Amino acid sequence: MSADVFLFWFLAILTLAGGLTTVLVTNPIYSALALAFAMIGVSALFVTLNAYFLAGVQLIVYAGAVTVLFVMVLMMFDLKHEITAFTRGKFTGLVKSGTVALLAGILVGAIAMTSDLFLKISGTPEVALGGGDGTKELGKILFSKYIFGFEALGILLLIVAIGAVALARSKGGTHAKQ
Amino acid sequence: MPLGGVIFIAIFVAIFGIVILYAASRFGTRRYDPVKFESYECGVPVQEKKDTKISVKFYLTAILFILFDIEIIFMYPWATTFRDFIKSGEGGYVFFSMMVFIAIFIFGLFWEVKSKALEWE
Amino acid sequence: MGHDIFEVSINAIKLIVVFLIIVQAVPFLVWLERRGSAFIQNRLGPNRIGPLGLMQLAADAVKFFFKEEFVPASAVKLLYYAAPVVALIPATLAFAAIPLGQPVQWNEYTFRLQGYEINVGIVFVLAVSSLAPYAILLAGWGSGNKYALMGALRASAQVISYELALGLSIVGMIMLYGTFNLSEMVLAQQAPLSYSFLGANWTAPSWLPAWGIFYQPLGAIVFFAASFAESNRLPFDLAEGEAELVAGFHVEYGGFKMLLFFIGEYGHMIVASALMVLFYFGGYTIPGISMADLNQWAAEHAPGANAASLTVGLLTLLCFFVKLALFIWLFIQVRWTLPRFRYDQLMDLGWKTMLPWALFNTILTAALVYVAHL
Repeated sequence: MSADVFLFWFLAILTLAGGLTTVLVTNPIYSALALAFAMIGVSALFVTLNAYFLAGVQLIVYAGAVTVLFVMVLMMFDLKHEITAFTRGKFTGLVKSGTVALLAGILVGAIAMTSDLFLKISGTPEVALGGGDGTKELGKILFSKYIFGFEALGILLLIVAIGAVALARSKGGTHAKQ
Repeated sequence: MPLGGVIFIAIFVAIFGIVILYAASRFGTRRYDPVKFESYECGVPVQEKKDTKISVKFYLTAILFILFDIEIIFMYPWATTFRDFIKSGEGGYVFFSMMVFIAIFIFGLFWEVKSKALEWE
Repeated sequence: MGHDIFEVSINAIKLIVVFLIIVQAVPFLVWLERRGSAFIQNRLGPNRIGPLGLMQLAADAVKFFFKEEFVPASAVKLLYYAAPVVALIPATLAFAAIPLGQPVQWNEYTFRLQGYEINVGIVFVLAVSSLAPYAILLAGWGSGNKYALMGALRASAQVISYELALGLSIVGMIMLYGTFNLSEMVLAQQAPLSYSFLGANWTAPSWLPAWGIFYQPLGAIVFFAASFAESNRLPFDLAEGEAELVAGFHVEYGGFKMLLFFIGEYGHMIVASALMVLFYFGGYTIPGISMADLNQWAAEHAPGANAASLTVGLLTLLCFFVKLALFIWLFIQVRWTLPRFRYDQLMDLGWKTMLPWALFNTILTAALVYVAHL
């Protein structure tokens, strides 16, 4: 068993454990911290696929910004009352397991339909990237083929900023209404 | 990419920290006094206020951080490939497209400052 | 980590040594801080234990080791104990990625004088540094003290605000070097300083190296100031201000747990100084002597190729540590000279001053590179 395979299984099990902890634990802060751990695991899996820049970006944006936001916001509220409201009852159990089965079925069906053989491996990622880290190739593609998406993303982020500030203000947050 | 090295040192540091904390807790004295276990509030007894208002500005700071962080992330591949683009003759095109992006960034920052979204008093 | 047992074990030992450098640098840095601050404040610092008071922190560490262990009643035990351990990890991972000296060629192996070599170096260092708020938040929440929680939220809001300026101020550097790799950035700084503007070249005298500070002064200033805020050092340490908030997010920690937090904070300080040296002051290269000259000198004067390579490696390591010590002294000097910022001044500085200046630096650098082929 080579080091790469061992590393993949180790990281995959860690990431799955983080993901399962996120959904199975009732305390929301542990859930958010397990999500952060799963994001770090996904970043490490990107590294095994030779997408180094993407792994760094995943850490910076997801594990270092998004889950920090979740953890910060969750720590501001005292959520002991809301925890028990969602976890009781047989009907909610049925709804939960039914939803999970449906989503898993859709995901597996999509993967099976878009590849000839289920879980076929076709070439290592180094072939596609031409060796080294993929940043230069990423930069070249981003500014030639996907330039419209890039500018549209800037505008989308601007809309999100304006929307977030407007939402926070409408609930009586910052200094709009004194 | 030495992922093995990164994982090794992360686990080593974690185990080092746990072992040293455990050893320090075993070697210390233990004298039980109920005052020691109260939360520290500069000496006054703990006041339970159920409705401490926490400002929404923390949420806004974190959201705006995510947005501007993503925009900064997009500047990194641009910075590495800028000289290559200049050499291949497309430098102007790339430069101006990134300037449009930065103009959107500056507009967002300017709007956020002007609308006093992050005023901390 | 290597292809055979010898290489794997040497690399593992190197990683452990890099971690121990941070842990062992802390007593020395605390001594430097206490004596240095004492001289700035016109008094004597600790000078009784050991020569010049050097054994003071060893004595303090032993004292911390035997202190009583207490957990507040309203604390969440898992997070309370996990926070000091998590505080160590980002600083160590970041410091291990920084090249400390020239790679040593031993027989057929090449050992780099760093924990591991990452080809997207600077993105990795920033990514790992962005995990720093977790330790603060875990400590604040795990203490079960609402003032610790407030201090932790404010400290993490400060850290993430300055991460923007930190990340943006180095985009100019990356544009000039065209790579993320830290070793390549160091090696690109050993040529003599030369500017070329619209085809007209100007080369400085050969003892002046092409350090980053000469190309990106504004970026250097913004980076240095933002790294103060990242490591929660004065003048940005309102979240742990000793006089006002009684130590903020680590108020409920005593004994060795608090010492681990300080190792983390000094670790961040060391990483910030190391990055400053690496980007703007030539890294491990000695000014005025190119690496080729140094290798040749060592090959003439040392017995065998292995010893020559080792000598050059150690010389560059020494040079790096001298530059690092200079910047850490600067951190300490600033701490004891400037008064503390108020929190709203701090956040205004991060969002409204540093971010626009860093953005201006990026635009200016891009325009100069495009127009003048700088």
